[in-house]
Amino acid sequence: MAEKTISPVGNRFRTYFSKPANIITVVFLVILVLTVVLPLSTLLLGSFKINGNQEAVYVSTFDNPVEDGDFTFHHWVELLTSKEYHYALTAFWEPLYQSTLMALLACFVAVLFGGVVAWFITRSDLPFKKFLSTVFVFPYIMPSWSMAMFWENFFKNTSINAGKGMLEALTGICVPESMVYGLFPCAMALGLHYAPFAYILIGGILRNMDANLEEAATVLKASRFKILYRVTLPIVMPALVSTVLLVFSSSISSFTVPFFLNKSSIKGGNNFIAISIQMRSLLNNGMTKGQGYVLAIILMLFSIAILMANNKITGSRKSFTTVTGKSGQVSLVKLGKARKPLAVFLLILVAFFAIVPLLSFAAESLLEVPGDFSTLTLRYWFSAEPFEGSNKGDTVGILRSAFMWSALGRSLLLSLIVAGVAGTFGILIGYAVARKRGSRAASMVSNLAFLPYLIPSMSFGAVYLALSYTKGFTWLDGSFLILIMVGSIKFMPFASRTGTSAMLQLSGEIEEAAIVIGVPWIRRMTKILFPIQKASFISGYLLPFISCMRELSLFVLLVPSFKTLATSMLQEYSRTGLSQSSNAVNLLIIIVVLVIQFIVNKLTGASIDKGVGGN
Amino acid sequence: MPKIVLEHVSKRFQKFTAVEDLNMVIEDREFIILLGPSGCGKTTTLRMIAGLETPTEGRITIGDTVVFDSEKQINLSPSKRDIGFLFQNYALWPHMTVHQNIAFGLENLKWPKPQIEARVKEMLQMLKIEEFDKRYPSELSGGQQQRVAIARTLAPRPKVLFMDEPLSNLDAKLRLEMRIELKRLHTDTDSTFVYVTHDQLEAMTLSSRICLIKNGILQQFDPPMETYSNPANLFVADFVGNPSMNFIPAKLVSADGAKATVEFFGRRFAFEAARPIGEIGAEAVVGVRPEFVRLEEGEGQAKIYGTLPAGMETTVKLDVDGFILTSVKFGNVDYKLNSDMNFSIEGDGIILFDKQTGKNVGRGRVTPL
Repeated sequence: MAEKTISPVGNRFRTYFSKPANIITVVFLVILVLTVVLPLSTLLLGSFKINGNQEAVYVSTFDNPVEDGDFTFHHWVELLTSKEYHYALTAFWEPLYQSTLMALLACFVAVLFGGVVAWFITRSDLPFKKFLSTVFVFPYIMPSWSMAMFWENFFKNTSINAGKGMLEALTGICVPESMVYGLFPCAMALGLHYAPFAYILIGGILRNMDANLEEAATVLKASRFKILYRVTLPIVMPALVSTVLLVFSSSISSFTVPFFLNKSSIKGGNNFIAISIQMRSLLNNGMTKGQGYVLAIILMLFSIAILMANNKITGSRKSFTTVTGKSGQVSLVKLGKARKPLAVFLLILVAFFAIVPLLSFAAESLLEVPGDFSTLTLRYWFSAEPFEGSNKGDTVGILRSAFMWSALGRSLLLSLIVAGVAGTFGILIGYAVARKRGSRAASMVSNLAFLPYLIPSMSFGAVYLALSYTKGFTWLDGSFLILIMVGSIKFMPFASRTGTSAMLQLSGEIEEAAIVIGVPWIRRMTKILFPIQKASFISGYLLPFISCMRELSLFVLLVPSFKTLATSMLQEYSRTGLSQSSNAVNLLIIIVVLVIQFIVNKLTGASIDKGVGGN
Repeated sequence: MPKIVLEHVSKRFQKFTAVEDLNMVIEDREFIILLGPSGCGKTTTLRMIAGLETPTEGRITIGDTVVFDSEKQINLSPSKRDIGFLFQNYALWPHMTVHQNIAFGLENLKWPKPQIEARVKEMLQMLKIEEFDKRYPSELSGGQQQRVAIARTLAPRPKVLFMDEPLSNLDAKLRLEMRIELKRLHTDTDSTFVYVTHDQLEAMTLSSRICLIKNGILQQFDPPMETYSNPANLFVADFVGNPSMNFIPAKLVSADGAKATVEFFGRRFAFEAARPIGEIGAEAVVGVRPEFVRLEEGEGQAKIYGTLPAGMETTVKLDVDGFILTSVKFGNVDYKLNSDMNFSIEGDGIILFDKQTGKNVGRGRVTPL
């Protein structure tokens, strides 16, 4: 009789929350609204109001004085249409055009290079696959500016007054400036950085793709080329499109690469301004914050548009459904006579982009005068004496520097916490999405968790910076907690994607078998679900860890001082002209990440290519 | 006309041997079934003939063409072998409509467009899937996908058709229907069919000859009825037939020419074979198909262990001093559990196996002494 006293609504409420998946969905809906939607609406609002007194003065006209907080269309109108001194053209349209071009070129390089290597490794009898596969992902593990630094180290030359690079030192060839600084090298550095990412995504699909689909075409006498473009390509199209989407949105908003490769020589032939650089200068200028927000929003709209196109292209009708095939029966394409030369070519190519950069960082950190091996020195690593001529910052060898060690320690701690939070959230979201497949709340959680990926790191940082200046949140300003927050949210998309795909592979029955015998939820998660998909889930922790370890643009506006993180130390060295030290720090970060990834891989079998690509 | 010849074909992966020294001649227009438990090498064999897998050693000839020769380094690509292949999971291209799937092979052959249209239409009609022309594979049921896959395979009129467990993903009723369809297709298309299955009933009902493989080694290659009634060894006898053959452990008392004396169920029997009995040790196994065990007659004493009426026939399990003997009786009968029952072993299809080698050494009749 007692049950009758509970109202039907209350009853439904109780039933709903008796399922852990529902609790998780609701909790994450709240968390994600607070951490993603709220900051984004701040951004949107900011683009329609006067931000601060400086801006108010700047925007005010004699006829129409405005004050801080007033509503205005000024930012949008000014940035997009102002003809005064060609302002809109030079401040917005030209950078947008050039950055789009750069991002498209980067996509092309990444998809072509990553895709071709993925095909060779998954579908042909190429030798040294394991080595190639391991080494090929190096550039993705490195900080995103590493490729840019390497590009500069390699191609810079005395003809453009930039010091002797490796190419000139080895061969005497001086390439023109447009090969060293500007749009093309930025695009190449980004493309090469994201090629492993394309490799991971496309390789994952190719590995899961039923080889019978290609064999069926072979038997029906389709040529190898025809199989590629009529069967293989359309089937990996979803992966290609998502790669393009992700590479495009990361590239167009990349700050660090243009930061390194946007220098202009004395001759001044380079007029490339990346939109991300433009955004930072707008955001940093008290008079144009609102315009900076406008730019950030436009960049996001770009990404969202591609995301929607992606969903449309990979719609349900033609979608690639995995039919259980005979996985053991994959026959590899025989490369025949081309096998050895191709392998050598790929080995050289991959080594060039994955191993030579490391050597170049080492070389640069050891040479007093770039390119001159007679000036070999270890002092940028080991010197306990301050360097003469430097008066800024920390000027002892990086391994002797207490600042450096504590920054590295803080970077590690931050990355560990971020990985822990993002990874665990990812698994929980994956669980909720997999169990409540098709429900509106679940797909909302899934989309919201992916959204941070599309927000340019720099503007994500800016949003949280704005938050830390807001009344009631000032205790966040300069705190370690705010770094943890932005890191966890920004890198959650990796983890939630990994977690979702891993959870979807587990049939509900596995958990139901445990529910039937009364195993509580926590135990089901830790004793059944986690162990089964251990490698995938740990990859879901590994990816945020690596990304966080090498991240700069996300944190650059939020760190209280350059001594906070290893990457901010690097930027400081670079800014003050200590390129030997910045190369050394870069190498140090890469080695730390590689060693940790190697240990995790050996201990648990997890690896970053298992994460995004699935399987 | 294509006759397929396999000579000393072997396939070894790193550590284990999938197929060992296989010799086989498949005549033109035969319907051959490669039968065996899962993992026995039958799919590998099929894929080697089709060219999807490269043998480690041996020689394969289709028609007059040597398609593979390990010594002469010949290895023709599947596209040059003039074959059709039906995959277990159908392998329909998810991004193409039914029509596009079927037309694809014809386009590769550079058929003129009107001819392609006509052929696709013909195939759609033949397999009764006209209304799905514009649909994508994910919008079809398993049985419909199966038909599309068959249509796609048959459209270019291959002279040899390979099928890898094409019915295993269908439900029981549909499977039965498709069996008849396939058998009709075989006659209609005038092609040679090579078919892989682990379902002995499929093998029995469809094939002109069964090739039974175990652990990569050929066990028997004969027409289904011969395989059923004169199995080469214990493995074949056990694998083919449902309910399976009774294997009664026996002692060989004496053997002379086509006659022998064996002892089982505590008494002696005379075994008379049609031909002289092969080499046999002291331990023997008497193989008796359930239909040769007659109930309610003879001198055998047993208790009813259980009955399984299936409508048309009833499987009756007898307990003969602890040995469970299976018998099949036509019609619907029911016996009380543990009641006494007489039985006899009749017919001239009784097989004598050597226990040591497992080989069939003679086929004939047993009479109690």
